Amino acid sequence: MRFIARYAKEREKGFEIVTVYEDEIQKEYVPFENPLIETVTKKYPAAIWFERKMQDDFGIIIKDAFDKRPLVHQERFPKGVHPLRKDFTDKELEEGEYLPYKYEAIDGDGVFQVAVGPIHAGIIEPGHFQFSQAGEDMLHLEVRHFYKNRGIEKMLEGKTLQEAKPIIERISANESIAYQICWRDIVLQATRQKLPLALQKRHALLLELERTVHHLTDLGFIPNDAGFGAALAKGSKLAEDARRKMRELTGHRFGFGSIDFANKFIDTVSFSEWLEALLHSVEFFQEWIIDIPSLWDRFDTTGILSLKKAAKYSTVGVVARASGLTQDRRINKFYFKHGFVMASEVSGDVGARFKIRLQELKNSISMMHNFLEEDESVLELEMLHDGEYHSFTESSIGELFMAIEIKNGVIERFFVRDPSFVNWQALHVMMRSDIIADFPLINKSCDLSYAGNDL
Amino acid sequence: MMKFWNKRVKLGILTENPEFEDDIKAIQKEIKDKINKKFAGSLAIRMVDSGSCNACEAECNALANPYYDLERLGIYFVASPRHADVMLLSGLMTFNMQPHVLEAYEQIPAPKWVITLGDCPAMEGVFEKTYAIKAPADKYLPVAHHIKGCPPSPREIIQGILDFLKKV
Repeated sequence: MRFIARYAKEREKGFEIVTVYEDEIQKEYVPFENPLIETVTKKYPAAIWFERKMQDDFGIIIKDAFDKRPLVHQERFPKGVHPLRKDFTDKELEEGEYLPYKYEAIDGDGVFQVAVGPIHAGIIEPGHFQFSQAGEDMLHLEVRHFYKNRGIEKMLEGKTLQEAKPIIERISANESIAYQICWRDIVLQATRQKLPLALQKRHALLLELERTVHHLTDLGFIPNDAGFGAALAKGSKLAEDARRKMRELTGHRFGFGSIDFANKFIDTVSFSEWLEALLHSVEFFQEWIIDIPSLWDRFDTTGILSLKKAAKYSTVGVVARASGLTQDRRINKFYFKHGFVMASEVSGDVGARFKIRLQELKNSISMMHNFLEEDESVLELEMLHDGEYHSFTESSIGELFMAIEIKNGVIERFFVRDPSFVNWQALHVMMRSDIIADFPLINKSCDLSYAGNDL
Repeated sequence: MMKFWNKRVKLGILTENPEFEDDIKAIQKEIKDKINKKFAGSLAIRMVDSGSCNACEAECNALANPYYDLERLGIYFVASPRHADVMLLSGLMTFNMQPHVLEAYEQIPAPKWVITLGDCPAMEGVFEKTYAIKAPADKYLPVAHHIKGCPPSPREIIQGILDFLKKV
């Protein structure tokens, strides 16, 4: 049974702990006076961040946890403050006493620590990586995040789904369409409505276009991190073309505000022509890049995530599929009907993740052809019903899970698990046989989101 | 490999793409002159994300693509604040990032300027104040210039940097 997420909700007399697995959702209740739960990390190691987050957000105590360090709350965060509790309404935090964070570190003769970040040397999001090194060899890596924590979950409480939309679509810009589709599915569940096929196709088209932009960017950046800049020039040119298409279709380069319930005109002829040209460019790119031995010397056998570990750490998306896991939220009738083929590789290394992106990109292009639709239908939304809803979307990184509880017409609890939240936790197992100079390459091959992870 | 170079030669220089080049050319000379005069030939920018959605970073990365090719104007993104003239700050200045942003600013040698990028650092965007947000950034840093947008497009970023140069 695959572990997906674990989070808490505040109820009248205590907390409800929700654990989401692939086939079932389990709930348990603990009272405010004694909020003790047992860990599930022994079976599902990826649950550790979820449990440490619960401890910070609500003050829930995991009695048999082996790691009780704060996760979201950093050195200066005031102690004993649990911001997702309903009685916490402050808009400002007083800085607390500075308590140093104790990193996981390996000690030994000649072993030393390398601390990287939160601010990195490029134009990248902030996060911290702590390496235990024996010379060039990485013995251990601890990924430490949540520098970007904006309190999104709290921000959305008390808003209607419509009011929450502009914020939800800006949680992680690279996956904006995916977030909006998760939101859309929750709106449809709450209004008990079905989406007309034409709209479903338009949204699916935009999701594949977003994936196209993201994969093209990575296909340039991954070789660039192995010192092959020509690929970046090509990849970033194609990514820019795709981003301009996104703007043409939605009025916004990232598609913010584009998932709604009215179908808009698409110039299908010119879009098809562009897709043809793009496919041609991608095939050329592939033929060219596959033939550069010095590049594949860096890609192959670097940053291996075995199938066993990929499953154990509940990984999703590109990372999971590159290690041989059959895991994609597009495995359904609608997508198969429109030409979906799941990408798959087995070697689990940087090369595999690169090849997955190439396969998916070409599949997205052919699916976009099939998603083109000229029908201009509109869906009038009906009354929302209170309740607990959740939805899944396959973003360009992997499976996105969103859960919203609506009470009296407004959001009572908003929870989202970005695919990055689980994949980040598997990053350290990919480093075992590599040197520190390979780290940027391995990290880029996964291309995880910091903003979606930190919330 | 020959096939690649053949295509490369046939494709030519993308940066000459007329739809863009004409607009950029108009401001290009002005930018070059300003940079030569005020920053000894180049303007070094340290980009710092203080809690954004990554759109502003993506647009800054796009500035290096063949269409915009920012470096030909003598404007560079540098790896260390100690090499920088300007801090380009995006994001909501989160509680967790704020001390690190201030530290990075300290490390920039004077004279130095802060440009805020996108609606977030000015708290003009859709995000609302929470306990975890410390923006607007001008409460903590002397902001010399602000580039609006959610996110500002690469063109608007170049235009914004030019407007800043006009001011200093």
